[in-house]
Amino acid sequence: MSREVLVTGFGTVGAYGYACESLAAALELAAPVGAREVDRSAGRHRARGARRALLAPLSGLTAWLPPLEARRMSLPSRFSVAAARMAWCRAGLPGCRPAAGREGLPPAAPVRDARADPRHPAEQTAEETAVVMATAFGPCSFAEALLRQILGEGPESASPYLFTESVANAAAAQIAIACRARGPSITICQREAGALQAVGCGAAEVASGRVVRALVGTVDELPPLHHALLDRFGALARPRAEPSGAAGPPGGEEAARPFDRRRNGILAAEGATVLVLEEAEAARRRGARPLCRVLAWGSAFDPSAPPAGWGRGHAVLSRALLGMLARAGLLDWEGAPAARIDRIVSGASGSRSGDRLEAHTLRTAWNDRPLPPVLAPKGAVGEYGGGFLGAAVLAAAGAPFGPTCGFAEPDPELGVVPHDGSALAPPAAVLVSSLAAGGAASWLVLGAAG
Amino acid sequence: MRAGFAAGADRRVVVSGVGAVSGLGWGIEPLWQGLASGRSAIRPFQRFDHSAHRTHLAAEVPAPPFELERRFPGRQQTLAGRFALAAVDEALAEAGLCVPRDVAEAAVFFSSSTGGMWESEAFLADVLAGRRQRLHAMAAQQLNCPGDAIARHLGASGAVQTISSACASGALALGAALRAVRSGAAELAIAGGSDSLCQLTYAGFNALRAVDEAPCRPFRAGRAGMSIGEGAAALVLEPLERALARGAVPLAELAGAGASCDAHHMTAPEPSGAGAATAIEAALSDAGVPPEAIDFINSHGTGTPLNDLAEWRALERVFGERARRIPLTATKAALGHLLGCSGAIEALVTVLCLQRGELHPVPGPDDGDAAGAALDSEVPVALVVGRPLALPEARAALSASLAFGGSNAALVFLRWEAAGA
Repeated sequence: MSREVLVTGFGTVGAYGYACESLAAALELAAPVGAREVDRSAGRHRARGARRALLAPLSGLTAWLPPLEARRMSLPSRFSVAAARMAWCRAGLPGCRPAAGREGLPPAAPVRDARADPRHPAEQTAEETAVVMATAFGPCSFAEALLRQILGEGPESASPYLFTESVANAAAAQIAIACRARGPSITICQREAGALQAVGCGAAEVASGRVVRALVGTVDELPPLHHALLDRFGALARPRAEPSGAAGPPGGEEAARPFDRRRNGILAAEGATVLVLEEAEAARRRGARPLCRVLAWGSAFDPSAPPAGWGRGHAVLSRALLGMLARAGLLDWEGAPAARIDRIVSGASGSRSGDRLEAHTLRTAWNDRPLPPVLAPKGAVGEYGGGFLGAAVLAAAGAPFGPTCGFAEPDPELGVVPHDGSALAPPAAVLVSSLAAGGAASWLVLGAAG
Repeated sequence: MRAGFAAGADRRVVVSGVGAVSGLGWGIEPLWQGLASGRSAIRPFQRFDHSAHRTHLAAEVPAPPFELERRFPGRQQTLAGRFALAAVDEALAEAGLCVPRDVAEAAVFFSSSTGGMWESEAFLADVLAGRRQRLHAMAAQQLNCPGDAIARHLGASGAVQTISSACASGALALGAALRAVRSGAAELAIAGGSDSLCQLTYAGFNALRAVDEAPCRPFRAGRAGMSIGEGAAALVLEPLERALARGAVPLAELAGAGASCDAHHMTAPEPSGAGAATAIEAALSDAGVPPEAIDFINSHGTGTPLNDLAEWRALERVFGERARRIPLTATKAALGHLLGCSGAIEALVTVLCLQRGELHPVPGPDDGDAAGAALDSEVPVALVVGRPLALPEARAALSASLAFGGSNAALVFLRWEAAGA
């Protein structure tokens, strides 16, 4: 890359609340804060299937999105615009102000004095700002509602409002409108790999000089039918069957257990995380206080994966991972990941085959040498919705992490024991790894702000 | 060769193979024959019962030839996935690449706006009717499925990225592939898009009153909306040196890509055309090609009153007075609007026009007397009508895409001329 890329802003929305601090607190507490019962009244779930999910409360939304503005938006658009405004404010950029009564982080940097420029503050940055958002499933509640209208009441009853917001790029478009971002607007749909691809794509736009900054992130919602489908696919963690065959304690045993021998699925989540990526010189000129740097990014595909699961292509994926590190100068003289990579934020989610592929890919890349501390935050923040991306930024910024939520028994087949909650030295470089169902894989390396 | 233009980037990237599925048929030749003869694929269709819909036309892909039906059985793939795989196989064959030997590390940049929505609709209909549901149909309904299916089919381990930015998706996917190959992140990329007809988009665009009851009439005075189509397009991209070294004959050079956002409205384009103009200027700059070098334009040309007007204003901003004279075609009048695939198939058609030295006509009456067929003085583009326009000297062409949500993308292609030719 030709230009240095910094992360200067960060906003997040999830079951943990509407602030970076609430996500940080959930990670330090190592608990799925805000997990609650999903509406199963339609009878679409399996009888002994998953009951819980990390659903974002709507109560905190008005602080970032006035009701008048929100009523034109799907839930993913609302989450995204709220997170984008948080990130924009956190970056200390002008304009794009939220509604009155804002809560959360105060701006980390003084807002630039825009008096010399007669344009609206956000207009001064409009054409310099790209938006790259990822979504695994898009605005599925609106698509579902629209199809119910079409199939149940006839096509002439289709709501134009529902249709407009049912497209996958609605969230990116609404962010662009809210922040007056007139650079490229791109939406990536690559399941669990999409979030890191969005960061890589935005970083490439900034590094090349095509834009000065990019709002990048990920969003997903989790309506009951979607939760039921994930449950019926067997993707979700469910109450564990005891040796007698009886179900475990209601709710208590239903947890995502990354890398654990007893893992039996993911804890689904909804929400959004948006980052401000900024060209380093421009950020320094305006006095921004960066959270971390984007050092490298890369993607690959495991062709052995089935359409909705993980394959066994760890050799292919570890080779691609090493290739990315090599291009970024992050291999040591033996061709292994450099010691400078002193932390891994793993996308292990509690999926049996997904965690196995993740563990084998990392161990192969490290040539079975000891891995640096492995943080596996999806036990606390769930799968989808952006908590994972937020956790990666917090890890690179040196935030404390509690013990790995849901982990208790090592799995000998995996050979990975994730972080136990002990204090860690500030990181130099953090590898972020996310392997998607269906075969896609994506990685990022984030460096300390320096 | 690319004499006369400033170098736009590190490595030059060429298109070495193309494949397509469209309302005009399965393959490039039916597509080109239909386009060159001014035929439109927009007609009454069979995919679903549209008697209760407001309009009754679409550019539906005909039933596949027997060998394709056998190779890509419908039970294992979504319709969009089958279109994508057929297009990719054709593109790789033209490029002279063997599967899996030559494509093991290929990257895939594909676009889709509905993925397997057609299959999802069948699933939800079963849910609503209380019938037994086929869960496996949902496994392949995600937007990333066509791109993933391609990589799985090829055994490819390069990056796979699915872009879903409505009607700009295809052009954005090609732009992403260009950057990956140009930078060395990929040595070979399969780029394109795929979408299939479904009730959600058909009813949705009708709800917006954005669909013409007649076949769409881009840039005509009587235009009243778009027509929906379906299909897939695939382009093989690789560095020029690699293509030449293995004896491939490039079809064209993908010289530049640009993108922008109107940041104005979810469905209406920014009326001054400023956003679209930014994308076009970025593509020209990326290609190192000045506006005066563009020999023809494959427009977005949906046929909606506002979109065509905004596009004209964007062209006028970029090309000035010359915008009235640059030959312009609108492939959507022949193939309908392929939504997430439209930018990809229009880019592919742009390559064919450059390669074959002629610009396909926009289907429809060419005498201006038929109702709604007169050219619109408010959008005074040089629309190619009636018969193909011979452009044997054309060297540079622009393909533009303007999407829902204000996302704009543009691509610049250059004719491939072998050294000494």
